[in-house]
Amino acid sequence: MLSPKKVKHRKVFTGKMRGVAHRGSTISFGEYALKAVEGGKLTAQQIEAARIAINRKIKRGGKVWIRVFPDKPVTKKPAETRMGKGKGSPESWVAPVKPGRIIYELTGVDEAMAIRALTLAGNKFPFATKVVTKRTSI
Amino acid sequence: MIQVEMSAEVRNVFGKGPMRRLRAAGMTPAVVYGAPGSELQAIQLDTKEFFKNLLMIQRRNAVLSINIDGVVRNVLIQDVQADPVRDTLVHADFYEIDVDKPRTFTVPLNLVGTSKGEDKGGKREIAVMQVSLNGNPLDVPDMIDVDVTEMNIGDSIEFSALNIPDNLQMVSAPTTVCVAVVAP
Repeated sequence: MLSPKKVKHRKVFTGKMRGVAHRGSTISFGEYALKAVEGGKLTAQQIEAARIAINRKIKRGGKVWIRVFPDKPVTKKPAETRMGKGKGSPESWVAPVKPGRIIYELTGVDEAMAIRALTLAGNKFPFATKVVTKRTSI
Repeated sequence: MIQVEMSAEVRNVFGKGPMRRLRAAGMTPAVVYGAPGSELQAIQLDTKEFFKNLLMIQRRNAVLSINIDGVVRNVLIQDVQADPVRDTLVHADFYEIDVDKPRTFTVPLNLVGTSKGEDKGGKREIAVMQVSLNGNPLDVPDMIDVDVTEMNIGDSIEFSALNIPDNLQMVSAPTTVCVAVVAP
């Protein structure tokens, strides 16, 4: 599972996600890509599940780039705990994703296969995504 | 280099509201400027035609000859703003150039074929995929093909081995390795 090796602060503020992604919104490495249409938080587990789905579909035929990294810790209080007594303990790592962000890139497979693989990956996410190709994007 | 001819109109409206109406009407606002002393001009382009040309150019170097109400200006694409979610055009910046004056361009490399070393189990390592060349804009190729079929394990290709036209000068260091085949 993806997670940072070392962090400066164990716990961070929840924060807010406004606007759209201007950085990381164009295809940089591959021929096909999965783009977020809505915003949300991707957990390390979801990123890994989608990567496995892509690799199983393309049978390790192409090359995959992961363009997001879960570097934000999310905390959680234990069950049946009263409110207060400080912030909970770190539970998981997430990657905040804004609309327009490229999440995966893929190359080395034909277009139909790439679309099928990336659609399967998109189904693992808690927000809407779309498949884009370098041929049809500026 | 890729050459594209386009037509445009002088734009006399400015601001957020009028620009939104302009885009809704199928036009893209743009601006043309150039070297100090060059005239800045606000223009509007047909979105469908411009989008089609951008897909054809695919972020490579291209000289656009824009006919602005009868006056032709040779420009390079300086910047294109697009909506990151909907992939629609928002605005474009064009930089006017003199096609007879040398300029430096970054030209992408295109690796052709599979090397002998890769067939033997070697791994291709790409260090740099673009080279800087100086010359007249129309003489600069939009892409340089690099034949890697004869490379064995341990071989590498430097910029000095690239097939570059005689009328161009290389700005990048000639000893820079662009691709190598290494042992797995």
